[in-house]
Amino acid sequence: MTGPAALPAVPATRTARRAAGRGLRSDETGGRRESRASTVAKVVGSIALVAFAVFPAYWMLTTALDADAATRGSRLVPTSLTGENFARVFTDGDFGRFILNSVVVATATVAISAVVSLLAAVAVARFRFRFRTAILVMILIVQMVPLEALVIPLFLQARTLQMLNSLLGLVIVYLAFSLPFAIWTLRGFVAAVPQEIEEAAYMDGASWGRMFRSVLLPLVAPGLVATSIFAFITAWNEFIFALTFMQDSELYTVSVGLRTFFGQNTNDWGAIMAASSIITVPVVVFFVLIQRRMTSGLASGAVKG
Amino acid sequence: MSSSTADVAQHATPPTTPGPTPARRGALRRPPSWRRAQHRRPWLLLSPGLLLLAVLLGFPLVRVVQLSFQDYGLRELARGEDNYVGLENYREILTSSFLWQTVLPNTVGFAVVCVVLTMLVGTAVAVFLNTLPRTWRTLCLTAVMIAWAVPAVTGTYVYVWLFDPLNGLVSTVLTDVGLIDRGAVNWFAERFSFYAIATLNVVQHGFPFVAVTVLSGLMTVPRELYEAAQIDGASAWRRFRSLTVPILKPVFAVCTILSTIWDFKVFTQIYLMPGGNGGNPDVYNLGVWSYIESFAQGRYGMGSAIAVLLTVILLLITVVYMRTLFSEEEL
Amino acid sequence: MKRPITGVAAVSALALTLAACSSGGGGTDEETPGGDGADYAGETLTVWVMEGTNPDSDAFFDEVGAAFEEKTGATLDVQMQPWASAHDKFITSIAGGTVPDVAEVGTTWTPEFAEVGALVDLTDRIAEAGLDGDLVGGLQEAGTYDGGLYGMPWYAGVRAMIYNTEIFEAAGITEPPTSWDDLLAAVEAIKTSQPDVIPFPVSGDSQYGLYPWVWGAGGELAEQDGDTWASTIASPEAVEGIEFYTDLALEHGSSTAAATTWNEANALEAFQQGDVGMIVSGSWTPAKIEQDNPELFAKLGAFPFPGKDGDVAGSFLGGSHLGIFEESDNQDLAWEFVQMMSTGEFAQKWAEQSGYFSGQASLVEAQSEAADPLQQAFATQMLEGGRSLPVTPAFGKVQGAKTVETMLQSILSGSASAQEAAETAAASMDETFASAAG
Repeated sequence: MTGPAALPAVPATRTARRAAGRGLRSDETGGRRESRASTVAKVVGSIALVAFAVFPAYWMLTTALDADAATRGSRLVPTSLTGENFARVFTDGDFGRFILNSVVVATATVAISAVVSLLAAVAVARFRFRFRTAILVMILIVQMVPLEALVIPLFLQARTLQMLNSLLGLVIVYLAFSLPFAIWTLRGFVAAVPQEIEEAAYMDGASWGRMFRSVLLPLVAPGLVATSIFAFITAWNEFIFALTFMQDSELYTVSVGLRTFFGQNTNDWGAIMAASSIITVPVVVFFVLIQRRMTSGLASGAVKG
Repeated sequence: MSSSTADVAQHATPPTTPGPTPARRGALRRPPSWRRAQHRRPWLLLSPGLLLLAVLLGFPLVRVVQLSFQDYGLRELARGEDNYVGLENYREILTSSFLWQTVLPNTVGFAVVCVVLTMLVGTAVAVFLNTLPRTWRTLCLTAVMIAWAVPAVTGTYVYVWLFDPLNGLVSTVLTDVGLIDRGAVNWFAERFSFYAIATLNVVQHGFPFVAVTVLSGLMTVPRELYEAAQIDGASAWRRFRSLTVPILKPVFAVCTILSTIWDFKVFTQIYLMPGGNGGNPDVYNLGVWSYIESFAQGRYGMGSAIAVLLTVILLLITVVYMRTLFSEEEL
Repeated sequence: MKRPITGVAAVSALALTLAACSSGGGGTDEETPGGDGADYAGETLTVWVMEGTNPDSDAFFDEVGAAFEEKTGATLDVQMQPWASAHDKFITSIAGGTVPDVAEVGTTWTPEFAEVGALVDLTDRIAEAGLDGDLVGGLQEAGTYDGGLYGMPWYAGVRAMIYNTEIFEAAGITEPPTSWDDLLAAVEAIKTSQPDVIPFPVSGDSQYGLYPWVWGAGGELAEQDGDTWASTIASPEAVEGIEFYTDLALEHGSSTAAATTWNEANALEAFQQGDVGMIVSGSWTPAKIEQDNPELFAKLGAFPFPGKDGDVAGSFLGGSHLGIFEESDNQDLAWEFVQMMSTGEFAQKWAEQSGYFSGQASLVEAQSEAADPLQQAFATQMLEGGRSLPVTPAFGKVQGAKTVETMLQSILSGSASAQEAAETAAASMDETFASAAG
């Protein structure tokens, strides 16, 4: 799944003023009741929101730790904690191998995607050439192509190229998920680097390549981190291609490997939730990492508005 | 699928999205050899990316359309032959009651309900977060982020576990209060309740994108505007209607369209629920149907035709998306 | 660009590593002579086996692997596959050329995979090894496509009825039912003596629970007519069977509303809780009950499906073949493995551990003589009433479409009469048969 290119910058002030000018002279009263009631409402609302947002993750983790997971029923808190479910994931299942496969695939996707997308981003941000706009529009459109609908031709193509049952084949497909978004995002970062800094490097006699490495690269590094995390999460989470391409159980990635814990009639929920937790935790950590970047971005946006 | 992971990263982009910074000024001063390089270099830099996208998206797009006009099964695959049948696949799909009575209502109905709920919940959460003091907001935002971060695969399994007919939380609670007999109700077996669970799953996973995006929009609105309105005596609802909605209209539009696209092509969340991987045709949507036809039945031509149908629907939505976007932003 | 970007080099190095990690379909291309004593040292045979048949399959295959290596020098790589996703996985890997060398193939799938040319015709190899006289008939029939046998019979299972002897005794039933009238009488007796007990739940999501009543009434599911098949599920005999089975729920109060969506596992779950008189059960189920619930196991009885007038009704003889894939580079080695698994020591051990019957007729007879009364009921069911489903790839598609379950559920939920629902199902089946033929 590819993400949206970018949100439109909200033309806040103009629209807002227009809206403000329009019939707000209401004579309703009772606006200023910043009372205890509203504080209570905020506390209750916050608790309800947190509960709604976190409950599935909570249930996953606590089931994974519950010594009596299968018959947990409606116990909100496990009666006794155990690491046995996690241990079983690695001993009975082959989950260590699945994790390794996923790490290899995700890392390779991140590495290749970073290099390729940065080069392309420099091209569209720094150069003016024929078809530039056409390429930009194409990159935008391409993000909307449902890759799920292309699983059939990509499968047949991978078959011809002997790329089924191969981690490399999966990496290549995942590039299609992450490249358009990465190019589009990095383009913004590259464009934000002032031209003068580059000029200065040339003045000092640096070649283009040298300037690229010593000047441009460090400045767009935050953008690379963001797109890399996105690429990593996409590759780590992806299901449909991993399911279709990998028939050899030694090459399963985590999201497909998880299915091996489902029995025909009985499901080992303790182990399934333990394995799910192992898959989920790194993603949540990454999200919280970029949340800090995000909130600072929000703050600067607010100042600007 | 990680429908909206992209959008976290997106917020890390600089708040400005400037146009290109053409190197024209510098180029004029440079020797001719540099100018030649100037012509070639962008293409050199672009070539790996364009090549990959052509191989991974361009060619498969052509191929899927080609396949959709064929009766292409395991036999054709083994022999490496084409087997064109014209519009036969499309005729079969479009005249089948299965499409009109099951798959299309599932796909469209599910998408519409999910989009509406996602937008409502997301907007409500954003407005609520905007009223909170800073510390509370950060706390709540982290919780919202966790809901967003849980991968579709594991999130779906949690819901399957929660609604497990024998030992799941919901079944146990309902048994304890005497509403059902233990194990007597299987929510995954029936189309409506199946999709109710899927909706809960998708909305719970999708509302954070809307909440965070709308919140970032809300924070660009100058506080003075609200204060002025408040002094004028406008109620909270009125402030929302007359201030927030018009200002954030483009944000709402983009969120709605993106959610629509994601919810139309939901695959993982359906496929991984009991019955969703072929056991219960009543719950197919377009994506699942296409996958089952091809990878379970070996009818790749038929599956491709369904995939083309899905793509066309999504492209139409994309056109709307592009229009909204282009009216707001110059490339 | 004067200096290369080091990242590119790193990436290509990574790509090479990845390519090295990937593995192709089978083993090496090396040709090896067949026959006993041939040395296959260094080769690996990849085998897919269905999960859950044998509770302790790891230990079993460790043993097989050691014996196999001793005999042939080759290494065995057994990968367990869950039944639920196995069919799709087979289709996908046949399409992708990523099949294993040997796989356990469900009997209903064998003709389907043979039709597309994925499986090796084993007729000659089986005849050469002198195994053709001793195969279980139902399994042989199910594995035959276009005159050739594409799957080596490995093991078989059959469904019959199991009952709770305590409930039967409390109802005053001394002999298990042997006809439809007996069965109705038993249901009535249980209902009047123990109102809280569900005498015999009619599970709506189980096709195999229905077939014995269709067959028991003299009906058929479909008949072959030249090259094509025609559904006979709406014939008077078949409808009589369907009606009898669903009327147990609708007219005689033998079932419960919840059972409309039950599958066999749900029925078993209810049975294990002790409030159910009898259920349809696989021959492999008592072993599971013994493990989960020894107390109940002590009260367990079994009897073959009663026909309408007192003979043993047909019951689907399910099971598995071992198939060798055409794409395997090591077909001789694969055949060595197939023989080892389906005959002699390992075949017997597998049957004992899993609660199934062997694919060799002589072994089944030995099994049924030695077995307890419970197993004897199943053995009788298998030898006297073992039936196969219509042997056509199209029937696999009928099953995939859940036509029969849909029919059953629409009757049980009251939205259609048996006759109406059967006609709808017959039309749907005929459509599938026609599209498969054309």
